[in-house]
Amino acid sequence: MAAVTLTGVEKHFGTFTALHSLDLTIADGEFLVLLGPSGCGKTTTMRIVAGLEEPSAGNIRIGDRAVNDVRPKDRDVAMVFQNYGLYPHMSVEENIAYPLKVRGLPKAERAARIRQAAEKVELGPLLDRKPRQLSGGQRQRVALARAIVRTPQVFLMDEPLSNLDAKLRVTMRAEIKHLQDELGVTTIYVTHDQIEAMTLADRVAVMSQGRIQQLGTPEEIYDTPANLFVAGFIGSPPMNLIPGEVGSGSFSAPSIRLDGLTFGASGPAVLGIRPEDMTVAEGAGVDMAGTVYAVELTGESNLVTVLLGKERVIARAPRSWRGKAGETIGLKADRSRLHLFDKESGQRLENPRTADQ
Amino acid sequence: MSESTRRMIGKWARGIAIALVVLVFFGPILWIMATAFKEPRDVYALKVFFTPTLQNIYASFDTPFFVGERTWNSIVVTMGTLVLSLPIATAAAYAFSRFRFPGGSVWSLGVLATQFIPPVIVIIPLFVAFRHANLLDTKLALVIANMSFVVPYAIWMIKGFIDSIPLDMEEAAQIDGASRLRAIWDVVVPMALPGIATAAIFCFVVSWNEFFYALVLSRQDATTLQVGLMSARTERGDAWEIMAAMGLIIILPMLVLSRFVQKYFAKGLISGSVR
Repeated sequence: MAAVTLTGVEKHFGTFTALHSLDLTIADGEFLVLLGPSGCGKTTTMRIVAGLEEPSAGNIRIGDRAVNDVRPKDRDVAMVFQNYGLYPHMSVEENIAYPLKVRGLPKAERAARIRQAAEKVELGPLLDRKPRQLSGGQRQRVALARAIVRTPQVFLMDEPLSNLDAKLRVTMRAEIKHLQDELGVTTIYVTHDQIEAMTLADRVAVMSQGRIQQLGTPEEIYDTPANLFVAGFIGSPPMNLIPGEVGSGSFSAPSIRLDGLTFGASGPAVLGIRPEDMTVAEGAGVDMAGTVYAVELTGESNLVTVLLGKERVIARAPRSWRGKAGETIGLKADRSRLHLFDKESGQRLENPRTADQ
Repeated sequence: MSESTRRMIGKWARGIAIALVVLVFFGPILWIMATAFKEPRDVYALKVFFTPTLQNIYASFDTPFFVGERTWNSIVVTMGTLVLSLPIATAAAYAFSRFRFPGGSVWSLGVLATQFIPPVIVIIPLFVAFRHANLLDTKLALVIANMSFVVPYAIWMIKGFIDSIPLDMEEAAQIDGASRLRAIWDVVVPMALPGIATAAIFCFVVSWNEFFYALVLSRQDATTLQVGLMSARTERGDAWEIMAAMGLIIILPMLVLSRFVQKYFAKGLISGSVR
């Protein structure tokens, strides 16, 4: 087990820059998730760590070893591929055995390790099958078993759950989490699914356009998004982002006015409020009022889309709430959980707090 | 015309058409097989019933036809071509499939384009080169000449298969601890095996049947069975029964091959480069 350090790593494909000078340190035993939309450079980053892609510039260290010029086979990493990358002409057992076989482990020792790995992922009775005779979830387990059969320095997982159906994904997610806790191996996990990122990660690196937009614990990423991209990307439904003006303790947009805020900034800004930080309210304490555009019952709550002038915002209402499209309702924002971003740069401005806090 | 007569006519027409095709395809083969076992005086007689004799077969193995040695030459040349061509073609196919070259597909297409040049043109420089290298009338010369047209086609056949193998598996093998070469051997080759087998059959067939290069490049020692056929045109006229006996030996491996691998060959062609 080892820490992974990337310093100034860049990757260019022709004139396209996939990674702009990336610095990232993953602590020993840490579970780091690279999260971002497709084409953001997360898979490229992982492939550079694996040695499948050469960086155009920068250094990669695994533990105290510089691995820039080390071939993938000697980097002592294990990888789980999106399409599992199983060897179709080999049985499950041979697939799991392959990393041991190429390393020249004696047969007796191999058998014991294969059994252990297969048991950990509950593959015992399937060892004689060929990959094509397995379901998606079982194939995923074979890929995992092949990764854990030797104890590598680093696990690399490239969207390992994206080919599974929703229900299985939840089960496998828990299994991966459990496995990593148990083995304590440094793990880099690539995904575009924020739920996977939030549930699995010790730390999340949110990436976009070849840059890390924010690096932090899932809580930090969710509670204090560093910029508009992170704010809009994390959360489902996403954070409401309302462009307007700030100045002298208030935020105003065409159909919204929030008073009693304290922040130094003034000028054009974007206000962010998560749906669950807004409540449907009536009477004097209402911050904004609009007409109901749509109501969606998710089971645990109602998602209410409200038209505020031209802006659409989504608020989360209790499941017992009954409203209809076209009604006029009032919304109240939780002042302690507002986010403010610079309109130009998209960067987070200081956390606005209510005056009495 | 009633429905049933129309159906009858259709049935007969189909039958006749099939019979014609069968006659055209199998007639010559049957003629060769029959003639090989006929007495010389029966050769021109279209007799269906005759007393078979092995005399022609014996004669063909004797002076001046040397079918034994020439069969051996053919086997060595064909096998030599096979053994050298397949690894070379597989390696080249892998390279064309996986690596980017400056100029893109110019190179892989170029390899194929060499085949548009008629052999009759290529043979002249080949002949001169082999004479300088003292390789005329050697089996090695024939192997090299055969490779010049077997390898390009084999590359394309195998490339089609390698193109369809996802990169994931090779990369997985490399991360699992295999060198690139080992990954190719352990993962790519087994997966491309149907394509390699197809190429092998193709390679075998064309090398075995090759006549022109062997005719020009061999004289005595390296003469193959196919060229040896010409020796049956003697000053006493064409010895058809000897030719037939040689012909029988030439088509023998093809008959065996078509019996056992024809299905596999068709499958390989369909699922590989054509797809």
